[in-house]
Amino acid sequence: MTNHVVRLYTASAAIIVFFVAWAGIAARPWVTPAPDPQVAALAQRQQRLQRDARLVQLIAARRAAANRAARIAARAAAQAAPAPVVRIVHLPPITTTRTS
Amino acid sequence: MLRRGFHAMGTDCELFLKARSRPEALRAMDEAQWEVRRLESIFSRFDPDSELSELNRRGTQRVGPELLEVVDLALAARVRTGGRFDPTVHDALVAAGYDRTFEEVSAEGRGDDHRPSPARRCAGSVRVARRTRRIELDPGVHLDLGGIAKGYAVDRAADVLGELGPCLVDAGGDIAARGRGWPIGLDTGDGTLTLELGDGAVATSGRDRRHWTRGSEGFHHIIDPATGMPSAGDLLRVSAVAATATEAEVRAKALFLAGAERAEREANATATPALLVTLDGRAIFAGGLA
Repeated sequence: MTNHVVRLYTASAAIIVFFVAWAGIAARPWVTPAPDPQVAALAQRQQRLQRDARLVQLIAARRAAANRAARIAARAAAQAAPAPVVRIVHLPPITTTRTS
Repeated sequence: MLRRGFHAMGTDCELFLKARSRPEALRAMDEAQWEVRRLESIFSRFDPDSELSELNRRGTQRVGPELLEVVDLALAARVRTGGRFDPTVHDALVAAGYDRTFEEVSAEGRGDDHRPSPARRCAGSVRVARRTRRIELDPGVHLDLGGIAKGYAVDRAADVLGELGPCLVDAGGDIAARGRGWPIGLDTGDGTLTLELGDGAVATSGRDRRHWTRGSEGFHHIIDPATGMPSAGDLLRVSAVAATATEAEVRAKALFLAGAERAEREANATATPALLVTLDGRAIFAGGLA
């Protein structure tokens, strides 16, 4: 290889190294990119909705439990309640009780 | 007044509702009908996918609130009636030949090849853990909630309709009324008597409808837990009035199994209006019903 060719290769390699280094420095990898404000807002909204959903589930579960307990208590009270007063009337029945 | 009929829980059901708004009334009827079918899908022992069938198969299970409540009510009724009402009669019913829906049992007719098995023990142990919603059956114990579950479904449907106005729910003789005097017929044996029922319920238990023959023997569906066999008492049927259809079912069955004399005494003592019809056709009015 002649000196000329060696010089040409060296110059080409130097130019490539220069541009790669330039691109690397220009990308500023040490700087954290600023988040897209729209994405950030969406993420915040998602977090808020998840928190609200958990709260709603908790409230619904509490209310359902209270409702169930009240219903059971009411039914238990009804079991113990005296039979309603009934009287015999002279009317055609709307329906007839029979062996079920 | 709106009226709707449909078939559920192995019987004909009817809803009556008097409400101002027709669209709302129709919606409530849809909801009540849906509720009855939903509860049937939980309590049916003939549906292999029901929650009750699953509990009977597994023996122990975490259950939904409705099954927990009805099993709880049935066990309380067992204590209150001295064991005459018992949800653990399942195997005795099956042994007596009631192992499919009644339509299928009665359609089979008289057949010597399906002889019922001997009596099965009742009063099996059932443990209910309310906090964890777990029910545990002793080995060999299975539940049948037929009557009480029907009463419960009737009460629930009446709760739904009752929010809109006076209503009546009838599921094959288990009747719950809300809000005004509804004329309800009672079969006395030689005619029909009409009762006026406001907020309350009436149910009838008897051996005059769900009965079948196998070989030369006759069977019916009311098992006496004391013997594990269909009751051999002197009553044909009993109609009882109570605050809820669930309770009316329990009282009617307990009085039926008590026999005429004791049932009359008990109905009077507990002020349970009841009509007892004996096998020889006598009608006995008890509990203030006259």
